Amino acid sequence: MAERSGAGTAEDLDGVIADLRALSEDIESCAVLSGDGDLLSSSHAPGVERERVGAILAALVDLSERLARESGKGQFSQLRIDAGGGHLLVVRLDGGVLAATTGQEARVGLVLYDMRNTRGEVEKVLAEGDDQ
Amino acid sequence: MKKLLRRLFVLGALAGAGYAAWSYLQGQSPGKENVQIVFDDGSVRALASNTTEGQEFTDIARKLIETGL
Repeated sequence: MAERSGAGTAEDLDGVIADLRALSEDIESCAVLSGDGDLLSSSHAPGVERERVGAILAALVDLSERLARESGKGQFSQLRIDAGGGHLLVVRLDGGVLAATTGQEARVGLVLYDMRNTRGEVEKVLAEGDDQ
Repeated sequence: MKKLLRRLFVLGALAGAGYAAWSYLQGQSPGKENVQIVFDDGSVRALASNTTEGQEFTDIARKLIETGL
């Protein structure tokens, strides 16, 4: 469900996300948000719901960056939230973020490990998209 | 009879003081730290659910978990 001008890039990004989901079965949904706040890959089809999810995720990234600045730490690299009914995990990329949701009983450490390992591939695809 | 009433009064006062102390501690106790943010330098900050910042993160996360990404 990636949406990007380069068709190859969109397919590549979907492929990387599909691989991550296959590797980490605890992941319920997964998305890639660009540095500009555009949702590049999501389980939602293009439309209102997808735009809404992109806006909410961008707000979360802004909040994290603000907290990092206020703490004098520069930037955040990883975010983990236990929201009661599940977990939201965010890993920062060069030029965006990789986010995932899991159930409450998920092995969160393992999911974050898989997300960090996938980061390089996602960044590579994003860089290829910028070159096109 | 008078002695019994005095004992009951003392017991009631003790129970009331105990309940007041318990209620106070409940209000003051730190909430569960349910937000963990890792910074570029490797340092970690945890936010509790009963803080304004922690609540902001949790509310946004809950919406995204409900709708899916």
